Amino acid sequence: MSKTKSSPSTTVRALIEVSITPQKDVGFDNIAERIYSYPQVKSCYLLSGGYDLLVIVEGDSILMVADFVAAKLSSMANVRQTATHFLLRKYKEEGKVFKHSKGEQRQNISY
Amino acid sequence: MRISKRVDQIEPSGIRAFFDLVLGMKGVISLGVGEPDFVTPWNVRARAIESIEQGFTSYTSNKGMLELRRGITASLKERHRMAYDPEEEILITVGVSEALDLAMRAILNPGEKILIPEPCYVAYGPVVQLAGGEAVFLKTSVETGFKVTPQQIDEAAGVGVRGILLGYPSNPTGASYTKKELEAIAHVIKKHDMLVISDELYDELTYDFKHTPIATLAGMRDRVVYLNGFSKSYAMTGFRVGYACGPADIIGAMTKIHQHTMLCASITGQMAAVEALKNSAGDVQAMKKEYDRRRRFIVGALNDIGMTCHMPQGAFYVFPSVEVTGESAMDFAKNLLLKQKVALVPGDAFGRSCSQYVRISYASSYDNLKEAVLRIEKYLKKK
Repeated sequence: MSKTKSSPSTTVRALIEVSITPQKDVGFDNIAERIYSYPQVKSCYLLSGGYDLLVIVEGDSILMVADFVAAKLSSMANVRQTATHFLLRKYKEEGKVFKHSKGEQRQNISY
Repeated sequence: MRISKRVDQIEPSGIRAFFDLVLGMKGVISLGVGEPDFVTPWNVRARAIESIEQGFTSYTSNKGMLELRRGITASLKERHRMAYDPEEEILITVGVSEALDLAMRAILNPGEKILIPEPCYVAYGPVVQLAGGEAVFLKTSVETGFKVTPQQIDEAAGVGVRGILLGYPSNPTGASYTKKELEAIAHVIKKHDMLVISDELYDELTYDFKHTPIATLAGMRDRVVYLNGFSKSYAMTGFRVGYACGPADIIGAMTKIHQHTMLCASITGQMAAVEALKNSAGDVQAMKKEYDRRRRFIVGALNDIGMTCHMPQGAFYVFPSVEVTGESAMDFAKNLLLKQKVALVPGDAFGRSCSQYVRISYASSYDNLKEAVLRIEKYLKKK
């Protein structure tokens, strides 16, 4: 079923693809630890496929997230490349569906 | 232009101007909407789309698709142990509104009376009048939880009274009846050999006890026309699918009118309804749970800010008193709209005895309800 509109949130969230040069013996673990230790990192996953880590970052503004990527993440040793995707709209999360208003389609008043 | 007396006798709604005011305003938090805020479950919408793609765009049988009537038979049997023959005892209509109209036209001779507990849905009186009957309103009060009592029916019954139009859970009060209360009502109905037109459209939205269709009580089946539909339970108001179940002779008479005036309900709506019955029971329960959460919030919050509000047992409406404001319901509704941009419906719409009440619909998001209560509180404090 479709749920009602979620409460508005001002938090900015970004999904960041991070490509890494793995380190001898420890692979991705150490670099992953350095990344996930930042409080702005809400989730961090090692993935198969075209890049290595998927890092989910939250901040109060786009600028704050951008600063984190530019100043902390990209400049980190062994990080070769990042691709940042800002979350635009949440449709479903943890099984919960979020309905986004297409404009109130009901009349304002009816019997 | 000369208009027929039958139509001319229908009083124009006294709150039409207020409705126009609301409809013309922007940025309003509306608690005045009489339909679910949920969107029709996706599988139901998808079936409607698919049926059009497959070319199901024709008329159906006058009575409605047999598959849908069979589905209704099965659903009523499972939910309420009711037994209606899909061939002879069920008619698919264009919403419960049409079913109400057909039922009245099928059973009433000129001047015969129908008892209607008040407050009531706005169309109840007019459908009786348009069928040539006379609506006799039985005023209920907050003291009885806005429920009609067996004594009231007993006193009003008599010569010329054909039956009673009972709507429960109620729009606008949310009042509903327990099995025990219905048994006492049924006793009086049988005593006076009356019919019951029972509008149970909100039956799935009953919160504090299990809904009992009055037709299931001993000796009642053959004197009840049971009305229900898909609009409220499945959030399908725009599909316009309702149904009537009852004795074959009454359903046959209703079908006779229906085939000449409506022909059939839309095939798209009927296809969607079949899907709703098959696969959307879970959606109904999820919606009910959310409505119940809002019901508890809104009743508590209104009482907290000084608006006396009884706890309704069903539907998605509360019917608080505006006595604390010192205003009539109409003035309160207008002023609240203009000053705080909150829309609700003055009780006047639901009967002459209701000018101290307003109907608040909690078919609105929790956040909207919270904001609306804050605005109402602000309005009350500034008075």
